[in-house]
Amino acid sequence: MKIVGVTACTAGIAHTYIVAQKIKDAAEAAGHACKIETQGTIGADNVLTGEEIAAADVVIIAHDIAVDTARFTGKKVVDIPISVAMKNPKSLIATIEKKLTQ
Amino acid sequence: MDLSEILSEDIIDLDLKGTTKDEILRELSGHLFEAGYISDIEQFVRDIYVREAAGITGAGNHIAIPHGKSAVVKKITIAIGRSEHLVAWESYDDEPVNLFFLFCVSDDEGFAQNHMRLLAELAGKIGKDSLVAALQGARTPSEVISILTA
Repeated sequence: MKIVGVTACTAGIAHTYIVAQKIKDAAEAAGHACKIETQGTIGADNVLTGEEIAAADVVIIAHDIAVDTARFTGKKVVDIPISVAMKNPKSLIATIEKKLTQ
Repeated sequence: MDLSEILSEDIIDLDLKGTTKDEILRELSGHLFEAGYISDIEQFVRDIYVREAAGITGAGNHIAIPHGKSAVVKKITIAIGRSEHLVAWESYDDEPVNLFFLFCVSDDEGFAQNHMRLLAELAGKIGKDSLVAALQGARTPSEVISILTA
């Protein structure tokens, strides 16, 4: 499936980027396409385009601070704290797979 | 600009002696001070604890990523440390840690954006399990830099 996501942590220095990589690695290891936008102190990087969001099967928002979700209206959104993706990205992806095939 | 610009052998210590979180933070901050990245160890450590109070910095996989966002930072960088022993640290996987990445960041948000970008890139690498395994086996600071800039 196609996964897109956004990560945003409290300080916007480290967790945002580590978690983005962890989600991406776990998703790709499970055979999914994945792009994660990071919203840190330096602003948004790897920004998701409208087409990418439209084509995505699921949107993961891993955050400890507010993220604007208006872009994702109508999409299946998995809204989780940073800690969930940090702790076990593999089981996060597995849970999403299970939910989407139900 | 590439990652080698913010990594430096004199702030990589693969034989940290500290046995507590506080000792480790002070040891790494001491390296940053001696190498001229910060102007005040006490203030820098206080600022690290401000971030620590906001949430867990043990990233799992025996890694800790404390960060100091501080006015005493003269140059943005990251100090890297490893200890032979495990150190108790609040972690997402409830495991102690032995690999430390101390982010050294100015509290001036507009300051050195390009260096902040490099730090972000480096943080992404810390999220890669294979790279972390390589860092656990690194024997010298220069090897650490090679792994992170590969």
